[in-house]
Amino acid sequence: MISSPAEVKNGSGDGGRWLDAHYDPVAGLYTFSSCVDLADLSGDGESRLVVGDLGTGSSGMKLKVYRGTALMSESTLLDLPAGLVAFFMDLHEPRIPAVAVASGPCIYVYKNLRPYFKFTLPGLEINTLEQDVWQQVREGQIDPMCLKEMLESIRKKDAVPLSIRSLRFLSLEADSMDDFVQLHKQQPIRRQTVITCIGTLKKSTTDEDGVSCLVIGTENSDIFVLDPEAFTILSKMCLPAAPTLMDVTGQFDVEFRITVACRNGNIYILRRESNKPKYCIELSSHPVGLVRIGKNVVVGCTDESLQGFTQKGKKLWKINLPAPVTTMAAMDLPTRGFQGVLVGLANCEVHLYRDKNLLSTIKTPDTVTSICFGRYGREDGTLIMTTKGGGLMVKILKRMAVFDDRESAPGPPLAQSVRLNVPKKTKLYVDQTLRERENSLAMHRAFQMDLSRMRLAAARAYVKALESSLTPVSSSLSEPLKMNAVVQGLGPSFKLTLNVQNTAACRPVMNLTISFLYDENLYRMRNPFMRIPLLVPGLIYPVETFVECTSDKGISDIIKVFVLHEGKSSPLLTAHINMPISEGVAFS
Amino acid sequence: MEVTMDPLFLAWSYFRRRKFQQCSEICTKILQDSPYDQAAWSLKTSAFTEMVYVDEVDVDQEGIAEMMLDESSIAQVARPGTSLRLPSTSQGGGPSPAVRPMTQSGRPITGFVRPSTQSGRPGTMEQAIKTPRTTSTARPVTGSTGRFIRLGTASMLTNPEGPFINLSRLNLAKYSQKPSLSRTLFEYIFHHENDIKNVSLVFIFAAKKIDLHFIMWLFDLVQLFSLQALDLAAQATEHAQFKDWWWKVQLGKCYYRLGLYREAEKQFRSALNHQEMVDTYLYLAKVYQRLDQPITSLNLFKQGLDHFPGEVTLLTGIARIHEEMNNISSATEYYKEVLKQDNTHVEAIACIGSNHFYTDQPEIALRFYRRLLQMGVYNCQLYNNLGLCCFYAQQYDMTLSSFERSLSLVSSDEEQADVWYNIGHVAMGIGELTLAYQCFKLTLTFNNDHAEAYNNLAVLELRKGHIEQSKAFLQTAASLAPHMYEPHFNLSILCEKIGDLQSSYTAAQRSEDAFPEHVDTQQLLKQLRQHFAVL
Repeated sequence: MISSPAEVKNGSGDGGRWLDAHYDPVAGLYTFSSCVDLADLSGDGESRLVVGDLGTGSSGMKLKVYRGTALMSESTLLDLPAGLVAFFMDLHEPRIPAVAVASGPCIYVYKNLRPYFKFTLPGLEINTLEQDVWQQVREGQIDPMCLKEMLESIRKKDAVPLSIRSLRFLSLEADSMDDFVQLHKQQPIRRQTVITCIGTLKKSTTDEDGVSCLVIGTENSDIFVLDPEAFTILSKMCLPAAPTLMDVTGQFDVEFRITVACRNGNIYILRRESNKPKYCIELSSHPVGLVRIGKNVVVGCTDESLQGFTQKGKKLWKINLPAPVTTMAAMDLPTRGFQGVLVGLANCEVHLYRDKNLLSTIKTPDTVTSICFGRYGREDGTLIMTTKGGGLMVKILKRMAVFDDRESAPGPPLAQSVRLNVPKKTKLYVDQTLRERENSLAMHRAFQMDLSRMRLAAARAYVKALESSLTPVSSSLSEPLKMNAVVQGLGPSFKLTLNVQNTAACRPVMNLTISFLYDENLYRMRNPFMRIPLLVPGLIYPVETFVECTSDKGISDIIKVFVLHEGKSSPLLTAHINMPISEGVAFS
Repeated sequence: MEVTMDPLFLAWSYFRRRKFQQCSEICTKILQDSPYDQAAWSLKTSAFTEMVYVDEVDVDQEGIAEMMLDESSIAQVARPGTSLRLPSTSQGGGPSPAVRPMTQSGRPITGFVRPSTQSGRPGTMEQAIKTPRTTSTARPVTGSTGRFIRLGTASMLTNPEGPFINLSRLNLAKYSQKPSLSRTLFEYIFHHENDIKNVSLVFIFAAKKIDLHFIMWLFDLVQLFSLQALDLAAQATEHAQFKDWWWKVQLGKCYYRLGLYREAEKQFRSALNHQEMVDTYLYLAKVYQRLDQPITSLNLFKQGLDHFPGEVTLLTGIARIHEEMNNISSATEYYKEVLKQDNTHVEAIACIGSNHFYTDQPEIALRFYRRLLQMGVYNCQLYNNLGLCCFYAQQYDMTLSSFERSLSLVSSDEEQADVWYNIGHVAMGIGELTLAYQCFKLTLTFNNDHAEAYNNLAVLELRKGHIEQSKAFLQTAASLAPHMYEPHFNLSILCEKIGDLQSSYTAAQRSEDAFPEHVDTQQLLKQLRQHFAVL
């Protein structure tokens, strides 16, 4: 199962800047970049990889910690993780960071890989009308049907949305309503929001191991900044839409900047002084990755583009990518003063960009779904990727590796030099054009005469076909129909499928029947007369019947199909079906 | 006094003049007088054989069973250029489907209809039992049932009073020792008796009420009669101390018919060691083609050409393989080689002609088709092609009169449909939209499954502003011929115009599947993708 490292090395066409440290295609890690982090969890100077594994999406969610190439510990998570960060929550020695996992409306904080604290988002305002209605249900004053009606009217009118329970109730079938009400009516209703993204913000120092606040974005379009020790809400900010991706920089007590990509396709930049967005970047398509490099923001979008913006929202550049973006991450090497953006693409490549220049391409055996770059173990420049198939890949940047900008090659495009394969004009052709030039008048006359004759012949044949309704297409104004027939089978039994379609713009066709004309010595038909249901315009109605060939002489015949209108003797449509030769032999 | 001819000589003379019925009647008389006349017996056997003789060398069509339940293929996905099954459009020299129409399997159509040029290999079982099985291209279930039953019916009619030789009572060992008799007997069993038995069995089968097990037994028996021929061939070979190439070839033929291709290959190879024969090369190449090894087949033909330089059948074989592998330029080279040897070779002339036509040199194609006309080929298809060539070579005075003549020569509805379709094309070319419309309608009258006509009709309807009709026609065309890219592409454009982007996208994707290099489809897809990505 595990492909040899040599193969992987050959496949990566990045000039040997990366060492393949580890590749396990069956690690069973299903996660995204927001749920991966690197942290020195035991304080021994060796970084661990902390992953919030999504499992199958419905079960098997786990918090996994890797050390080197081995899985060090794993503990079960109750719900799907939405984000995971490691942060310092106090000033105790040794400096060991805590891990915060956001899932549902809660943040679970782990210290020393043990559950330490659970923070739940405050509940939202509840619709008073809704509360009254449920109160009445509890007292047995109204039945479920009535409840449904009332809830629906509340949903339509009121500004405050319904609770999850009411919404779930409204979506139920009538027969399961009673049970649902019985089960839930005793509990008070609550309205909870869920966390969509999480980040960290240094409290007051810029130190590497300074205490950090948690910054969380919720489905309710709010941003909260939490105190790291008491887990109280230090600050609350509002956004116009639900946040999906977040980047935070600065210190809470001094000045900070929160860059948030929202579900309405806009990016908002929040600052300390105001609880409303300061700047707004309107994108042309949905963002799928957000990375801040220095003072610039790099965004990957669904239209296969990578765009750069200043922190005030001014667009700097835009480049097109060869494939859709799956994930993005920052590559920051402070020791060498290098900053870049890693972009995972759907065509199994990871591109490294500095500004808009592509520095290197890493080919991967599978599509990468999460990327994390940083210190792992004792190695500073480690790139950790997980793949769509659940693989884990670790690469180490070589100490000697140099990235230099390559500008795209100037000059005319390649297609310009490709010669078109135009056939040479032959001598014959020249001779013929000469003939054409000399006898143009005669040729034209002959052609015009032939054309008139041909028109006549075609018109005659056409009228004949129309008169006997031989065409499989009827263009009459009252019943514009179309039919085609397909014969399936090897014989002696054949399946005859007639696809009838009403091609009118909006009028249905009714009262149609189908009948067949065939040689009764050769064929036997299960039902030689059928009614066609009402034909709705535009849909194809397959009408099926079975034909049995009763002859064993290896001969075949034509079956004629007529589409008739009730009360009219002449058919609307006729189709001739050339039956295939029966290969088998009929029983008895 | 009347001098009567020796009856045996008369019979021989009839045989030479291919009057087999009279020949066999005289032989029957002789045999009534002297039942042990070996010469008469042998002659009668040969006459019966000749009546139903089909050249085994000719490429026979693969049946559905052989195609779908193929066990001999090694790699499911062969490398490009090594298999007949993989239609590859991008391979060097392959024409694009925008210029040259495709058959169902994604191979450009040829200039000469022969078995397996029309439909190729279907991708799925559904395709296999559906589309190619109209009467014009009826594909038998298996090579051994379909064709031989039909041939058998003919031989049954020629010999109503019962079988001439009762095979079950024959002492094959005795006959195999008489070389002169055994050969005719073998050919009789191989070509004639096989079929009679099949058909008589079929009659018994139809008369009784029998369960499914009987069908299995029947198929066993069908094989058994090939086996009887095989048995005789094997015994005769043994008698000739494995030195007679003729018997080895016959053994190979038996094995081939039984589907034992590897054994057949062995026999043919060994026969070639004894005696170089063109026939044997052809048989062996046929085996390799059946095993889907076109490259080996090509090498074999070339090896054969070393021994028989300029042999037309070998050259034609090479050209056919090149054509099937979509390498039209090489195929044309070899067809030209064929013409150097035999300047009346219809297949070669037709193929070169159509190739010139599709490579934008209709004036040269016209020359080739005229040559066919001079040679006495006088049919609807030829006039149809002449008309098209004249039109595209701007010799307008000849165009429509050729089509008229073609219309007067049609023998079936399918041909008539094709001619009307081409007239419709010419009408479109000169802007006669009414005539074109009528022609395409007529095409559909004569052939309900003409996907091209449906497609063109849809375009005309769209010009008139009948969007619903146009859409319906395009959908029909797309379902009738999923291998054509035009209906999918047109449907995609239409859907895009009326704002149904999802349908447009799926149709464009299907168009891309049918013709990956089509630039317009690519652009449309790109445009749609952009549309989907934009907020």
